This record gives sequence, structure tokens and C-alpha cells, in this order.
Amino acid sequence: MLKVAKTVIAIPGLLAFVLLVAVLPILLQLGENGSSIRLNWSGGFASIRDYFAGIGTGESFRFLSGRTERSFWEQIGSFFNVSLFYVAAGALIGTTIGILVGIYLGLSRAEWLKRVVEFIGALPDFVIILLLQFLVVYIASETGIVVFRVASLSTDHPAVMLPLISMIVLPANYMIRNVAQQMKMTLSEDYIGFAKARGLGKTYIVFFHALPNVLPFIKADLHKLLGIMMGNLFIVEYLFNMHGVTKLLYADAFAYEGYQYDVVVNGLLSLLAVYAIVFIVLKLFLRGWEKVFVR
Amino acid sequence: MNKTLLTGLLITALLLAAALFGSYFAPHGLDEQVKRQYIPSEQGVGRIISPPLAPGADYPFGTDKNGYDLMAKLLDGAKYTIFLSAGIALARVGIGGILGMLMGYYSKKTPKRVRTSSSWSVLNGIPVFLIAWFALTGITINTNLSPLYMSILLGIVLTAVGVPSVVSVVKDKTMVLRERQFILASHSLGAGHWKIMRSHLVPHLKESLMILLVQEAILVLSLFGQLALFNIFVGGTTMYFDPPEYHSRTNEWGGLIGQARTSLYSHQWILFIPLACYILLIVGFHLVANGLEKLFKKRYVKASHF
Repeated sequence: MLKVAKTVIAIPGLLAFVLLVAVLPILLQLGENGSSIRLNWSGGFASIRDYFAGIGTGESFRFLSGRTERSFWEQIGSFFNVSLFYVAAGALIGTTIGILVGIYLGLSRAEWLKRVVEFIGALPDFVIILLLQFLVVYIASETGIVVFRVASLSTDHPAVMLPLISMIVLPANYMIRNVAQQMKMTLSEDYIGFAKARGLGKTYIVFFHALPNVLPFIKADLHKLLGIMMGNLFIVEYLFNMHGVTKLLYADAFAYEGYQYDVVVNGLLSLLAVYAIVFIVLKLFLRGWEKVFVR
Repeated sequence: MNKTLLTGLLITALLLAAALFGSYFAPHGLDEQVKRQYIPSEQGVGRIISPPLAPGADYPFGTDKNGYDLMAKLLDGAKYTIFLSAGIALARVGIGGILGMLMGYYSKKTPKRVRTSSSWSVLNGIPVFLIAWFALTGITINTNLSPLYMSILLGIVLTAVGVPSVVSVVKDKTMVLRERQFILASHSLGAGHWKIMRSHLVPHLKESLMILLVQEAILVLSLFGQLALFNIFVGGTTMYFDPPEYHSRTNEWGGLIGQARTSLYSHQWILFIPLACYILLIVGFHLVANGLEKLFKKRYVKASHF
């Protein structure tokens, strides 16, 4: 009951935070001839007021894309599906790869492999994407074979594989490092030594003694993992020119007539919805892992 | 001998030296521009020099589309990239470390092995760079404020968005430390809060804070790059209209990468040489962090049973 109450209280808080983040570009402005900074409070408050007023009239759900006026509700469906697909697929595949490879790395003594994984983890997401794109361009210019499409030129020929790979690499890498580290710590516990002394097999100990004690840490880290993925989603959709939810924020936010407050608020809320859905899916997925391995 | 740490420090020192003294040794200045020209030869077949020039003997890193030396630009921007990222990381860890330690020490809760989450965690869905971007977008483009002033402003924004995560990390560590026996012993011997913090908590946190500092510097660097993709450059963006073009005022490395993003298919060096320098810096920082971790780990970690 208490938890439900807390959730209910949090929702207005979240909404307030979104409204505030979206107001930042209006609030902080350059003054006359660009040599001072002024805080445009009145403009900020006016946008928030207009947003609430516009909900009733439907004005808050119309926006300019370039110079054409569009309806938010007609557009959001396909945008939402694209983003949801990439985040969900990246999270699920990435987590699976992450747990399996992480277990292996936790056990193995291949230090160089760990170093490679850690190094990739230190690189910013956009660097990895640029290098992947460059690799494809390079292969194409050397052999004439275009392995994957580097960016979406039109909606009929979207780039699919490369964005998907980019969305998987990051969570997989994060998971691998996390699982390997926790695995190593768990394997130094005394109950593992005890199980070993009882003559249980290595595979059995790893999966039925160690893994159940690693999974709670993974579950506790899901928010961080998804946070990284949402940042990655922006970069992926931007660099591959995809039509997802984040397009509302980076392209349509600054349309022909300037900054559009309404579309940013709606976009941010859709982004949070994607986050919440994938979080629940991922949690259920990990619960499945627990069902198999926890006795 | 800790090779990782040594290599990391060496790379960082090299780049630091380049940032400080590089401009004195650079073959070309910042204002030198290669103009389009036709050089006739004796056979009657002339040669056209037209920027961008590919990397060669005269221009080791090549020139950009407007004929400016890329090496001079990189050396000029290095100051901003290195010192600003280090400065922001220092501010984040300094402020976050103190706040986190105080909050962890005075917290009423007992430390849990596994963190629990609340509905507020959904806010993770809004990426940090988006908040920084929105805060800076109104003031960065075509500003008349000085690049240094704009860099400090960006520094304040990036510090503000980064402090919370540092606080939570340090708070967790402090809460675990607080439960240790030597704190209890010190307390029962009559030590005050201030004494316990100064001579027990700080020395124990020092090592993690050092590692955190380098890791934060890497995070700041990646934020520079991400913001640059969306045309928010460190020190301000100059925007030209018809066709829209964005130029970094400080030649900060993230900015050089961001403004050259269209060079993926042709004139690739304009994109990949700054990118290579940027990756080298991250590798340097990463090796320092790993080396430090290795150095400190030797003292505490138990061995695996397998």
C-alpha cells in the first residue's frame, strides 16, 4: 500500500521535472546583441501555462515539423514503436549476452579480454557508432560490398542492423563488466569453497550457487543500465537518421518558428513511457532467469 | 611495476605538454589559410591546390575545408579539452564527495547490500546530456560572450548535472565505512564527528575518490562529444546561415569532431584525426584509472575459489 502511495506521489513530481527541463531553452536566453545572459521567467511560465491550457483545446498536441503542421497523436505511434523496438531489443539481447559472457569472464583468466571489454566500456557511445559506420564505409570502398546501410535515407529503406548492433553493444558491455565483477566477488565467498569441498561440479556451483547471488545486483543496477541506453538511443537515432521518439526532441523541437515547448514535453513524456515499459519487460525477463536458477 | 598506470600517465603527460607548448612548435599558425591556387609546371600540365588538403609532408594532419591547418586547430583546442574536463571532474568529485560523505555519515539508514529503487528512478530515462543541451542551447549559438566565459558556464552546467551521481556513489561507500569497527572504536574513545571524518573517512575514501576523478573526466569528455553532435560546442558555437554551418570558437576536440561529422564519406581525415586524438586522450585517462585501481586493489581483494 505504501509503495502504491509513493508511486502516486511521484507522478506529479516527474511531470514537474519534465516541465522544468523543457522550459530550460526558453528560460536561459542571450540578452540584447548577445553579450549578456538573461533569465526569461515570464516566457517560461507562459509556456507552461499555455501547455496546460492547450491540453483542453488540443493545441498542445499539434506541432510544426519543418513547416508542416502535424498532429502529435498521428505521429507518435510509429515513432514510439521504433524507439520501443530498439530499446527493448537492445536491452534483452544485451542483457542475455552480458550475463553469459560476464559469467565466462568472471571465471576465466584471460586478462587481455577483460581489458578489451573495459576499454570499449570507456569509449563514448558516439565514438563506437562512428567507428562502426566508418568500418562499413571502409569495407564498401575496398570490396564494393555494402554490409549494412550506414543511415536511413528514406523510410522505405531504413538502416536496421547497424542501429541494432549499436544499441546492443553498450548494454552488453555494461552487463559483462558488471556480471564479471560481481561473479568474481561471489566466487571468493566461503560458501563457494564449501560447495567445492562437497564435491559439486564447477558448472553446477557457478549456475546454482553463484549466479543466484549475482542476479540481485544485476536487478538493482537496471535503472543505471536503462539510463545509459536512453542516452544511447538519442545518439543512435540521430546518427542513423531514424524516426523515433527522440526525433521529436532533437529535430522537431527547433522547427521553422523556433522552439516548440509542447512537442518537447510530449516527447519527454513518451521517452519516459518507453523507459517504463522496457524496465518492466527487463525485470520480468530477469525474473525468468531467477525462476530457472534459484532454488 | 605498474605498467598500466605508467602508460596512462605517459600518454596524459604527452597530451598535456602538447596542449601547453605545442603551439610554439607547430608548423603552421591558426590564421594561415591555404588558398585555392594553380601551379603551372614545365610540361604544361599544372597542378591545382585546393583545400581540404590531405595529410602530407607539409600538413601532417591535413587541412580542413576552409584550408586551415588541422594540427594548429587541435593544438589550440587541446587546452580547453584537457583542462576543462579535468576541472569539471575536480569540481564534481569535490562537491559531490563532501556532500556524499556528510549525507552518508549522518544518514539514519543502515547500508543495504542491494540498492532498492523508487519510482523517481524513471528520471534516468532523461539523459544527462539532454538536460545540458537544453540549458545551453539558448545561449551558446552566436553569442558575443568570451569563449572563456562560455566554457566556465558550460562547466557549471556539466558540474551541476554530474554531482548527484557522485553524491550517491560516495554516500554508499561512506555508509559501509561508517559501520566498520574502527569507527566505533574511535567513537567510544571520544572522537567527535569532525575528527572521525577527517582522520578515518577521508583517508579511506581518498583512493576511490581518485579513481572516480579520472572516470568523471572521461564522462565529461564524452559529454563534450555528445553535445558537439548537437552543435553545442565548448566555448560557444558560431552559426552561419545559407547553408547552415556550425563552427567551434575554441577548436575544442569534441567540437572539431562534431563539426566534421559530414566528412564520413569523403575527406575522412577531417573527422578521424580529431577523433583519434580524442580517443587517445580517453585511453590515457582510462589507463590511469585502471592503473590506480590495480594499485589499490592489491591491498584489499580476496582470491576467487576458481
